Amino acid sequence: MSKFSKISKETMLGFILVALFILMSIIAPGFLDAYNLSNMMFQLPELGILALGMMVVIVTGGIDLSITFTSSLSGVITAMCLSGHFPVAVAIFIGIAVGLICGLLNGFFIAVIGVSPILVTLGSMVLFEGINLTITKGNAISGFPDSFGNIGNMSIGPIPLPVIIFLVLAAITTVLLNRTVWGRSVYKVGINPVAAQFSGLNVKKVLMFVYLFSAFMAVIASIIMISRYNSAKVDLGSSYLLLTVSAAVLGGTEISGGYGKVIGTVYAVTIFQVLSNGLNLLGIPKTVVDILMGVILIAVLSLNYVSARMSHNKSIKQSIKSSSSENICF
Amino acid sequence: MKKFSGVLVSVLLVFVLVLSACSAKNANNSSGVGPNSEGAASTASTDNQGAAGKKLKIAVVPKLIGIPYFNASETGALKAGTDLGVEVIYTGPTQADAAQQVKVIEDLISRKVDVIAVAPNDPASLTPVLKKAKEQGIKIMDWDTPADPSVVELSVQQIDNEVFGRTITDKLVEKMGLDTGEYAIVTGGLSASNLNTWIDWAQKQATEKYPGLKLVTDKVASDEKQQVAYQKTLDLLKAYPNLKGVMAFSTVAPLGAAQAVKEKGLEGKVAVVGTALPTDSKPYLMDGSLSSALLWDPGALGYLTVAMAKDLAEGKMPADGQDVPNVGKIQVKSDSKTVILGPPTEFTKENADQFKF
Repeated sequence: MSKFSKISKETMLGFILVALFILMSIIAPGFLDAYNLSNMMFQLPELGILALGMMVVIVTGGIDLSITFTSSLSGVITAMCLSGHFPVAVAIFIGIAVGLICGLLNGFFIAVIGVSPILVTLGSMVLFEGINLTITKGNAISGFPDSFGNIGNMSIGPIPLPVIIFLVLAAITTVLLNRTVWGRSVYKVGINPVAAQFSGLNVKKVLMFVYLFSAFMAVIASIIMISRYNSAKVDLGSSYLLLTVSAAVLGGTEISGGYGKVIGTVYAVTIFQVLSNGLNLLGIPKTVVDILMGVILIAVLSLNYVSARMSHNKSIKQSIKSSSSENICF
Repeated sequence: MKKFSGVLVSVLLVFVLVLSACSAKNANNSSGVGPNSEGAASTASTDNQGAAGKKLKIAVVPKLIGIPYFNASETGALKAGTDLGVEVIYTGPTQADAAQQVKVIEDLISRKVDVIAVAPNDPASLTPVLKKAKEQGIKIMDWDTPADPSVVELSVQQIDNEVFGRTITDKLVEKMGLDTGEYAIVTGGLSASNLNTWIDWAQKQATEKYPGLKLVTDKVASDEKQQVAYQKTLDLLKAYPNLKGVMAFSTVAPLGAAQAVKEKGLEGKVAVVGTALPTDSKPYLMDGSLSSALLWDPGALGYLTVAMAKDLAEGKMPADGQDVPNVGKIQVKSDSKTVILGPPTEFTKENADQFKF
């Protein structure tokens, strides 16, 4: 058995990331410039935080299609408070409250009533978009105090504040998933919700918190976004929805639930960022960048699937070999 | 097994590298290669460098890439690059999305361009990133749609907004055949300030000169998507059966609206007037679903933008009445920052053939 087989898919992803980074440094002009690196670090957290929220939902075997519209709705409400001259802390607090209400709505129908997550979040996605459109009529809301702009644009030393927020949230998510009862229950619910229910877990409570968690992530992401773009609009971040699912899945999260590591998602989001940034510097059209991202996603997923099948087959062969060597007889 | 996957990964990386190298080569060869890269980012450069040193890099960012209007501007901009000996990078988001546009500009700053000329989807969203660009020593100007005036040094506009807005209303009344009746407005992106300014002037003209015209509902957005304009116009026709006219702003909206009118068989009964390119509007002009299209030459706009950008980079400001080669005489407004390309041209079924854009 080669030592190579002990490498988990997340570590493999980490290697791919490093290789990609080195590749881009060599072929893309200006990739290692201070401005460019800082640029990448500013762009990463929005997708990253949303991907964290989406990842936890996917681990339970569900999906949150409304995450980007939760984000834009809470962003719009926060923006309205800010341009209405509320203090920044109050506006953020109200935004978080709005987001949590959205999460509560999702959680209620999914956890308590038991409707399938994709259906509920599909509906709530359209609902939040509609509410948003009614409030804003599609216009953008801008005009925030300068201090708010600091959240998205400030750096502590060389590292942008949004990246610090992202890393802190990633750390918190890891701790929550690995060290708390709720976190471990999330995985159990994902693997087999019926078994989890009958082994005494309060599945309803677990799922409710999962959707509150993803809504909270959505709000934080929106605060960073509206601070960076200095405005809030109904479609802010809406292009991120499928990217968050892609990032979670690329990071090794099982789409059917039960498995997922934060570090994998972080690697995946960084891979997307490095790829898109490097290809832009090479002058490659945006349309081709999208194609390449899709190709990479399919390739890595196929790789994961193939290697999982192989190791599954290998363990079956092994158990057949060991049981046949016992010479079972009566 | 893992060794196999290791090999697969390296093959994948090599594949990515090869693909990128091919695409980069393609992008550098000519503008518009293959079926999908119609509105893709392309660079154009000339060989006669001369002793001028490093060539100027001018970035032109439209609201989005992939619609005929901005493809035509791209052609003009790239041609100007060739004629004037500057490198033109024409790139933009794939949707009319302000956040994506911010990312495009951030990437351009990384590429250390000399001038950024942008047509903002939402002026307020771009202000922070344009300020960042200014800090890096990049000159900022806007074209097609105004950005925040405090960050731009030059504003290239295709038309005098007041003249254009008023003309559209006059045209609608002319094509409706009467100056009373219900009309609706279909626009592109709701926060595009050029469209909103024209709409404001059009409505002003309506209330001042044609009090019998009634706007049935707030302007309807189509986000630069013809399919959405088509759907929304169908909804309007259904909701307001007495609708007599539709004003459509943004170059794909009139086509979508005309499609809807044609499907309902209402050509001649509902007048559709809007901003559209002659080659695309020809079929609709011919069958009467689009009554009239007003526009200017987007290629000339693209060309003018690059010419002005080059002057800006070299420290020259435009003068009123200046004759720009291949474009014509331009107007400069009294704030000496705003450049106007010229008056609008009307395209009808009679003259649509004469134009190539």
